[in-house]
Parts: sequence; C-alpha cells; structure tokens
Amino acid sequence: MRALKLAKKDEKKLFSVLEKFGEVWSPMPKGKRFSYEKIEDPEDLVLHEECIRTILPVKKFLMPPDFNILSFTPQKFTINNEEIPFKIVVSVPACEIHAVNILTKFYTTDYVDNYYMKRREKLIIIGKSGLPDEHCFCHKTNTSIVEEGYDLFFFDLGDYYLVWVGSEIGDDIVRKGSDIFDENLPKDVSQKFVEFRKQKNKSYKNNPDMEGVTDLMELMYDAEFWDEFGDKCLSCGQCTMACPTCTCFNIIDDLELNKELGHRRRYWDSCQFKDYSLVAGQHNFRGSKAERLKLWYTHKLKAFIGHFGSPSCVGCGRCIITCPVDINVPTVVEKLKS
Amino acid sequence: MKKRPTIGIYGFTGCAGCQLALLDCEDELLDIFSALDIKVFYEAMSNNDDNALVDIALVEGSINTNKQTQELKEIREKAKVLVAFGSCSNHGCVQAMALGDGEWEQRFKQVYGDMKFTVAIPREAQPIHKFVKVDAYIPGCPPAKPQMLRALTQLMHGNQPTYTNSPVCLECMFRENECLLYNGKLCLGPLTIGGCTAPCPSHNIPCIGCWGIIDEANHISELKLLKEKGFKAEDIIRRFRIFGGSDIVEKIQKLLEVI
Repeated sequence: MRALKLAKKDEKKLFSVLEKFGEVWSPMPKGKRFSYEKIEDPEDLVLHEECIRTILPVKKFLMPPDFNILSFTPQKFTINNEEIPFKIVVSVPACEIHAVNILTKFYTTDYVDNYYMKRREKLIIIGKSGLPDEHCFCHKTNTSIVEEGYDLFFFDLGDYYLVWVGSEIGDDIVRKGSDIFDENLPKDVSQKFVEFRKQKNKSYKNNPDMEGVTDLMELMYDAEFWDEFGDKCLSCGQCTMACPTCTCFNIIDDLELNKELGHRRRYWDSCQFKDYSLVAGQHNFRGSKAERLKLWYTHKLKAFIGHFGSPSCVGCGRCIITCPVDINVPTVVEKLKS
Repeated sequence: MKKRPTIGIYGFTGCAGCQLALLDCEDELLDIFSALDIKVFYEAMSNNDDNALVDIALVEGSINTNKQTQELKEIREKAKVLVAFGSCSNHGCVQAMALGDGEWEQRFKQVYGDMKFTVAIPREAQPIHKFVKVDAYIPGCPPAKPQMLRALTQLMHGNQPTYTNSPVCLECMFRENECLLYNGKLCLGPLTIGGCTAPCPSHNIPCIGCWGIIDEANHISELKLLKEKGFKAEDIIRRFRIFGGSDIVEKIQKLLEVI
C-alpha cells in the first residue's frame, strides 16, 4: 500500500483531478445535517475536520431507495441496463467504509446481487479520518480504523494530508494528480500519525459498554425492557433507512395503464413495519413492535457474527440522531447491561 | 379490441379534489380514457349514464345526508368492485373530525338554525364503509398520482390495489429529509399512511396526517414525546383529530388517559 502527501494549500485542486474520473459527490449541509450531493463547484469539496454523518449513508449509491430492476411484457423481460456513471464520494468516514464492506459481503456471499455489484464497481470511495463528535462510538465497534474498501483515504496531519492508496483506481487518481500528490513524506510523518490517532482516541465522548453484548442479547431475549421499547417505538422505520448496514428491500410489479408492459420496482423496506413479516393467511411472525425491535438488534449485535464473523453495527451513531423516541444501539446496550 | 372495463366516478361530500387529481394526470389522460369505458364522471363529462352497471366504482366524498346513503347503496348494487377513493370516503376526513363527540346536533343548529331540509336530511359525516361493503381503498387527500394510477391499473386487471402499509417517514427518508419530529416539530409522519411521497416534510412543513391513520399508529408514544417537547396535550389531540376521522374516535379515550 502506498502513502503520499497532499499539502493543504493544494486541497482546492483536488476537485479538478477527481472530476476526470466521474461525478464528484461530497457532504453538503442539509438543515442541521449533511447529505451526499453531487457537486460542480471545487469550493464545495470540503474535507471536514470532524467525521460527517450524512442523513443517508453511502448505501444510497449502492442500493438506491427506489429503482426499476427490469421491464416485462407477456413474452419477455428486459433487465434495466441503464448506464451507471462512475461516482466519486468524498469525505467518507472509516465506519462507513466498514459498512460498505459489510454490505458487499452480504450481497456477494452465496448469491451475487448484480444490481448491487454493478453500482459498487462504479463507486470510488475517498475516505477521511475525522474527529468523533458526541455520538460517534466506532471505537467500541472496532470500526475506527479501516484497511480495505477505499480507493484513497485521508488523514489530517496539520498542514498536510497523509493519503493512503487502497486500490488501482486510487493509484490512477494520484498519478493523474501527480502535481499535487507528493511521494516524499515528511520525516515526522509517523510521529504525527501516531499523535493523530492518540488525539482521536481521546476525543470520544460516547462510550457505550459493548463488551459481552453479543452474549447478553441471547440471555436477555425475554427481558421486560423490550416491551417498554415496543410501547415507545413509533414504527417509523427511520432507523433502518439511516443504518448503513441495513439491506432489506421489497419488490413489486407496476403495470402500465394501457400497454402490455410492466416494471419491476425494488425499494427499501423496513423490518420495523408490520407488513414486513406478514405472510399468506394474514399470519404475522412478528406482530408486535417489541418483537420487531428485538429482531433488528439481534441482527445488528449478534446474528451477523454467526454468518459473517463480525457484528453489523459500525458505531456511526445515526440511530442516535434519527430515532425520535431514543431507541438506539447505546440505549439498548445500556438496558442489556443493567 | 378487448372489451374495456367500465368505470363510474362518483362524488359525495368533499372538495372534489380527488376527482380533480385524476384529471390532473395530464400525461396519462389519453391512456386512462382509452383503457377504461367511463360511464359516469360528472366532474369531467356530460352524458353520464346513471343506470349503467359498472365494473369499477370510484367513490369520492363522505356521506352527509340520508339521500347520499341511498345513492351510495344504489352504486353498490350497480358496481362489481367498489373503491373508496380519497380520504373523505376512506375515513371521513376533515368534516368527520369531531365524529362521535355527541355535539353534532348542537353545532349543526348553531350554523343552520331551525332551517327545514326537504331534499335530504343532513347527518354527521361518515366514511362510506359505515354503509356499504368496500372492496378496496385508495387513500389520500388527494391521492398521489403514482399510487392512484397503480391502483387503477391493478383494478383494471381485476386485482386488489396494493400499497405498502408504511408511514410517511419511509418516503420522507427516501428524499433524505431531516426528521422534523426529532427536531421538535409537531409532525404526524409516523402516524400517517404513506404513499404521498412526503411533499410537505420535503418543504420543511410537518405532516398534518391528511392521508389518514396507519394501522399500527402509536398515538400514545407520539403524544408523550410531543408533551416532552413542550406542546400542550389538547393541542396535540386536536391535531390528531383533524384528519383522523372515524379512525381516531376509539383511540381518543386511551389518549385522554395518558394526559
């Protein structure tokens, strides 16, 4: 793996290098929050000092909230082969890159989801290690450092960025921008890098005690607090939309009004909705809100380990600032521990 | 050419905006007219055939008089599939906001005094399922174009209209909006049937619940939350009532216990 330097004075030139590779997307303010938006102005490319937690995570590029997968007539079907442009998404925090790696594992193990992979292959990820805010807890989910899944990854070391190259495309980018990316690293780079990491580790203000949580999910499966959460839950489904590792979707067929033509739509679904677990004969495996919440937290904190070797919560803190009634990973963990 | 399904579009008490929303599907109007044999559509055409038997009846509006009750029953007899079209016929909508509070006659007298009604005897506004069997529901105030056209197409093919039983929040998140409820606004998104594509929250205007109450709406939790955020309980319940129609009546008692 290569490492280079980008002087901060050259930061504004980054856009003109990146735009040669595709559309550039960067976190832009949306109310009090941020959202990844396509940018045209080099001034909009900002490498923020703090980790930026957008409303929707990077998964919105990889599995759009609502899209057509194929069209059909009574005789045949045609896969939607719309051209997916290369998208370069900038300022992606380490936890989100972990989340993308989890999604990729999920969508390629046993069966390959081509709709996902087609988009993953066209997504260039420029990561950025920022300082945590009051909600971040990636240090507790082992996702504060990332070693794969990005094309470039930036560390802010004072008057320059240390840039890790993580892929062939990343290497192409630094070659194309050879006038701003410098292979000669300063002598004090390792010392500064260690200092940055120490500083980052000291900056966490949210410290949920995640130790042993996987086992406690099993032991506390029938605990009363689940019903208390169930009484509070609004079933709005926002937690699952905001979570960077939620993968569930629904598929329906839409027919055109006056033609023998239909379209198969795929859109995000939520396990927190009653109809999600509704089956033939009006039977519902998870009729109560408490059962549905238990399913979600089991999936995030326990079940994923059995299948893929790690829990699927990456500590991004989105559930904390999304759920209106304060049901989120840290509050559930607190109950598990009490 | 295949025989086109026949349809009647009928309006009772309401603003007639649902029928207008159908006419507003300008790009699809020719498709609608050529796919369906329209027998009754007073808002859009002359030469209506009131006696026609129809495959599909779209019924807009709430039932506010004994004459309407009779007319609705006649439509039911003439229609193979009867669809409640829009919030008024689905839940009663705004005109049913005080349904069942026992004060309707008093209010009516305040407005109309001792006026004698000869053509039809007025009554408290009710959704149509209180009087006839309803085969399918298209919610909305008014229904949104994509969902309305999908439902029409499904009905044409002899299927039940499908819609996700999910709240406004789903599409609100699709549009990547900040949660207004989280930010302390009196937003009824989580309690309200989705499908509208969340136009109001997308313009920073909290949801007022115009599509009606979703199956599993957790009014108690939302009431508690909004009280914590400093809203007055009676104001919140009043907001719940506006579009809650007949569906909110049974929930109100439980809400009053929480206050």
